[in-house]
Amino acid sequence: MPERMEQFLDTAMDQVRWKRAKAPLRRELETHLLDQQDACLEQGMAPEEAQAEAVRQMGDPVVVGQELDRVHRPQPQWGLLGLTLLLALTGGILRVGLTAAMPDAIQVSQTVLALLLGCGCLLGAYFLDYTFLGRYARIVYWGAVVLGGLSLIFSPNYNNASYYTRYVVLLYPVAYAALVYALRGKGWKGLALAILGGVPLAVIAMLAPYLLGLVILLVTGALLLLCAVCRDWFGVGKHAGTLALVLLLLLCGALFLRWGLPYFQAQIALLLHPEAEALGRGYMATAIQSALAGAQWLGEGTIGGFFGDSSTPYWMLVPESGRDALLTTLIHHLGWMPFLALMLTVAGTLAWVLVKCLRQKNELGRLVSLAVVLTLGLQAVSSLLLNLGYPFTSGTFPLLVGNLHSILDMGLLGLALSVFRQEKMPLPAISSPLPGPLRRPVVTWRDGELVIALRRN
Amino acid sequence: MAIDNSLLSGSTTLLVLKLLEDGEMYGYQMIEELRRRSDRTFELKAGTLYPLLHTLEQQGWVTAREQSGSDTARPRRYYALTEAGRGQLAQKEAEWRTYAAAVTQVLEGGACLA
Repeated sequence: MPERMEQFLDTAMDQVRWKRAKAPLRRELETHLLDQQDACLEQGMAPEEAQAEAVRQMGDPVVVGQELDRVHRPQPQWGLLGLTLLLALTGGILRVGLTAAMPDAIQVSQTVLALLLGCGCLLGAYFLDYTFLGRYARIVYWGAVVLGGLSLIFSPNYNNASYYTRYVVLLYPVAYAALVYALRGKGWKGLALAILGGVPLAVIAMLAPYLLGLVILLVTGALLLLCAVCRDWFGVGKHAGTLALVLLLLLCGALFLRWGLPYFQAQIALLLHPEAEALGRGYMATAIQSALAGAQWLGEGTIGGFFGDSSTPYWMLVPESGRDALLTTLIHHLGWMPFLALMLTVAGTLAWVLVKCLRQKNELGRLVSLAVVLTLGLQAVSSLLLNLGYPFTSGTFPLLVGNLHSILDMGLLGLALSVFRQEKMPLPAISSPLPGPLRRPVVTWRDGELVIALRRN
Repeated sequence: MAIDNSLLSGSTTLLVLKLLEDGEMYGYQMIEELRRRSDRTFELKAGTLYPLLHTLEQQGWVTAREQSGSDTARPRRYYALTEAGRGQLAQKEAEWRTYAAAVTQVLEGGACLA
């Protein structure tokens, strides 16, 4: 690169304040300068003259750089960062405060440590260049599989479930988003690999066993794939891809229902009338419903409903009252109003994240932030159902319940915020291949000639 | 004939969208094509074009993909019109025609009253 051009590019890039944006912007301007120079040389100019003319035609480098700086700036996400911290802090205070009188009270020191680590994960992910998920998609995916396998082998078991695998599984939707991204433009093979790629992750979730994690993975995976085929991500044609995927999902759904229907019917019957087995499988639901029946709008409630006559203290009556059923504990001790205010704040935060996610122009950014918002949203819905007396699966409410869970959720949200922060990045960090149908095969047979494409476009 | 820059700046977005109407192009190609189609009247500077293209991309009117060119290993960034961009082009084109017709009418002495 001639010195004069280097000088132009240096001066222009000095005006751009966002360091991460400089390299791609410089590359685009550099290509333009070289194209211009080639054109001048073709017109018969001497090399020196051609360089000078190419630089002259670009305009003032300071103005060029300032204009690019105006367009490309990180978008700070103060609002969402603030809301995340506020919710995590509220969760910490509730965990400690509401369990203080219980024998297995959650320690202040542990909660403070979790909040500090959570803040570290939130800010670490926020300032991270999330595009590494696209650049190292295969490593991310296989790393997630290996981590899940190791956690199955080495993690201690609580309640017949591998304890740490649950946390690893909650990261799987993001790893899966990276995999789907990496298979762009790879045709039917890519779509098949994307579907098959979900299998090892689902198997690990089943081996944990972690039903909620499995449901989150399946729902998120299906939606990510639908998003991808609707935008003809694999290059198999928008309609053909969508039709194939919808048919496959319907088939899986039908098989799932055929085998799982009796189980789900029994579960739903139990959820509708838990008091029929109040001292057996329906105990948790009945206990929660009893606690809710005596709850006040504001202030400490009593135990009503089925266990209304029981003199058992709340924390003995409701299982998991400091963990999965923490929201029921909140309603019981502080009333419905604080609960509703908290739920509205969480719903508002997640809706805000979802709206921003759907507005993303960057494909990887949209897939990653969608995976995050679905992971948190489905956790929230499952936990809400449980705490309202319909415990279909276990459910830790995002940012509020569980020290380790909160750290993980803060890290996930940080990743989504990192996407929004970088939405004005100039170029995708990865050069994208041509969509499938436009891509030339390596070997073709045309008019009796064997054509071997040595250079792929 | 070279024209006043302020005349060009008001319609640059329209011209850039119009260039992409028939297919994707890269920056240098767009400047050359505009020069050719306008019979060398419009000399669009790269310093104007790229910030504009990047703004249009952020607004969702154009998309871009980066790729090595077929005749060279230089990485090029190709821009293409999105559906939203096509809508904008139609709207801006209609606005421009109304405006140009009105300016012409004034220059030619105003509307004829029948």
